[in-house]
Amino acid sequence: MPLLEVENLSLHFGGVAALNEVSFHIEEGEIFSLIGPNGAGKTSMLNCISGLYHPSQGSIKFDGREITHMKSYKRTELGIARAFQNIELFKNMTVLENLMLGRHVRMKSGVLSGGFYWGLAQKEEIEHRKAVEDIIDFLEIEHYRDQPVGMLSYGLQKRVEVGRALALDPKILLLDEPMAGMNSEEKEDMARFVIEIHEERKTTVVLIEHDMGVVMDLSDHIAVLDFGKLIGFGTPSEIQQNPKVIEAYLGEEQTG
Amino acid sequence: MRNPFVMECGEFRASYKEDMALYKIPRVRYRVYAIIAFFAVFPLIFPEYYVGLATLCGIAAIGAIGLNILTGFTGLISIGVGAFLGVGGYTSAILTTKLGLSFWISFPLAGIVTAAVGALFGIPSLRLKGLYLAMATLAAQVIILFVISHWDSLTGGTAGMVLQRPSIGGYMLSSETGYYYLMFVILIFTAIFAMNLFRSRTGRAFVAVRDRDLAAEVMGINLFKYKVLAFAVSSFFVGIAGALLGHYTMIVSPELYSIQVSIEYLAMILVGGLGSVMGSIYGAVFITLLPVVLRGLIETLSVFMPGLEGVFAGLREVVFGAIIILFLIYEPEGLAKMWRNLKDYFKLWPFSY
Repeated sequence: MPLLEVENLSLHFGGVAALNEVSFHIEEGEIFSLIGPNGAGKTSMLNCISGLYHPSQGSIKFDGREITHMKSYKRTELGIARAFQNIELFKNMTVLENLMLGRHVRMKSGVLSGGFYWGLAQKEEIEHRKAVEDIIDFLEIEHYRDQPVGMLSYGLQKRVEVGRALALDPKILLLDEPMAGMNSEEKEDMARFVIEIHEERKTTVVLIEHDMGVVMDLSDHIAVLDFGKLIGFGTPSEIQQNPKVIEAYLGEEQTG
Repeated sequence: MRNPFVMECGEFRASYKEDMALYKIPRVRYRVYAIIAFFAVFPLIFPEYYVGLATLCGIAAIGAIGLNILTGFTGLISIGVGAFLGVGGYTSAILTTKLGLSFWISFPLAGIVTAAVGALFGIPSLRLKGLYLAMATLAAQVIILFVISHWDSLTGGTAGMVLQRPSIGGYMLSSETGYYYLMFVILIFTAIFAMNLFRSRTGRAFVAVRDRDLAAEVMGINLFKYKVLAFAVSSFFVGIAGALLGHYTMIVSPELYSIQVSIEYLAMILVGGLGSVMGSIYGAVFITLLPVVLRGLIETLSVFMPGLEGVFAGLREVVFGAIIILFLIYEPEGLAKMWRNLKDYFKLWPFSY
C-alpha cells in the first residue's frame, strides 16, 4: 500500500486551475521528486498535502487515512513534516528553540507544568533536547545552536529549516526546493543530508528541485507537472525518455 | 574556590539540566539572589512612603508581565488591559463583600474569572491581526466598563465598591509593610512562572505564533487553541494584579480602569521591552514612578519659578508621550535591551576588542 495517495486532485483559484486532476502515489521509504517549470503547481501540490490549501476536488490519503479535509496541525501529528521554499523560521528564536519547536507534537506538557517547570515539563524538555541534539550533530550546526536564526546565513537557515521539520520524526518529509539559491558546495551538503535522512532514518522524502542532476541521481520516482497537469510519472530513466516531459521542461539536448 | 571577582574564560556545563537552567552562570545567580534579598529587606530600611510606592510598582509589574505574555511574547495586541484589571478587582470585591469569602479564596478566583473573560474576548484573535485585533480588544474594554458601570445591583455602579485589606493567621496585612510582602511573594511567583513558561513547550509555541503563525501551524500548533490560551494566561495575571490593586487602594470604581490605564500598561511593556519578563518589571517601575519623580522635580523647581505647579497636569501627559516616542525611535526593545547592552559593554571593558 502506498504511503501517500493523491487521486484526481484539482485546485482552483477563482477561474484559474492551479492543479488539474492530478493523481500519483508515493511508496513508503522512497525519495520522490516533483518537478516542472515555474508556476506548474508544485508548491500548490505540497500546500494541499500539508493542509494550507484545500483542494476543490479529489482526495489525498496518507497511511490509509483520508486527510483531504483534515486541519493542518492534525496532519503534522500524523507525521507529515514540511520545509518551506521561502524560509519560514521563527526568526527571533535560537536554532535550538526552533528545533525544539519542531518536537512540539511529540511533547505533552501544558501551561501549568511548564510554568512551574516541575516533573513532566522538565523531564520532557531534557529528554527531547537529546533528540534535538542528535539532529544538530547530524546537520553539523553545533556552533550556531544558541544563535537567533535571523542572524544566520541563507544556507544555514535552509539547513535549520530542514532540521526543524526533521525534529518532528516525520513519516514523510516534504522539502520545497531545499537547494535553491545555494552554491555547489552547499548543494552537495544538502544532497548528502537528504540521502542520509532517507537511508539512516528511513524517512520518505518528497523533493521539489530544479537541479536535474540532483533529481535524477536521488529520486526513486518522479512526477512532472506542467500548467497544473501531470504530464509524466515514473522512474528517472522513464522520465528522461518521456517526449511530453522533454518538450515541456527538460529540453532537446538532454535526449542526445 | 572560584574567585568571584574574576571573569571566567568559559562556562562549561556538563548536563542538559544545567544548560537549560534559568540562570546558568553562578555569578549571575548570586547577583539575582542579592537583588531579591535587597527587596526582601526593603521595607525594613525605607520609610513607609517608599514602601507604598514599591507596592504600586510591584502590582503594576504583575499586570505588565501578564500583558507582555500576550502582546510581547505571543504578538497579540490588546488595549483592553484596563478593563481586565477591573474584572479582577471587581471579582474579588464582589466575592469578599457580597459573599463574605476570604481574600485567599477570592484572590485566585479573580484570576480565574479574568482568564475566562479574557479567553472569551480572545476568540476573535484567530481571524483578526494587528490593528483589527486592537479594535476588537478596544471593544472588550468598552463593553466590560459599560457592564461594570451599569450593573448597579452587583457592582455599585459608578460609585464603586469598598474593599478590605486581607489578613493572614490573625495578622492584618493592612500595614504598608505587610501588603508589600504579599505583593513581593506574588510578583516573584509571577516572574518565575513566566520565565519557566517561555523555556518550555507552551511558551515556545506562543513565541512561534508571534514570529510566523503559518509555519507554526504546519509544525503542529493549533493556532486557535494557543491564541485563546495566551489570552487566558495573560488575563489571569492581569486579573490577580487587579485584585491586588483593589485590596491595596481599598476601592474599585469604573474610572480607575479607563482606557488611559490600558495605554499606560502598553507603555510599560514598550518602555520595558516587548517579550522580556524582566523588561516588564523595569517598565512598570519606570511608568509608575515617572509622575512621582516629575512632581518632585516640579515642586523643587517651583521654588525658583512660581506658578509652575499649574502646568503639572498637562506636563505629565507630554512627558509620557515623549518618552514612548523616544523609546520607539531609539530603543524599540526597551530598557531590558539597554541593560543587556550595558552588560555586554562591561563584559569586555576596558579592552573592547
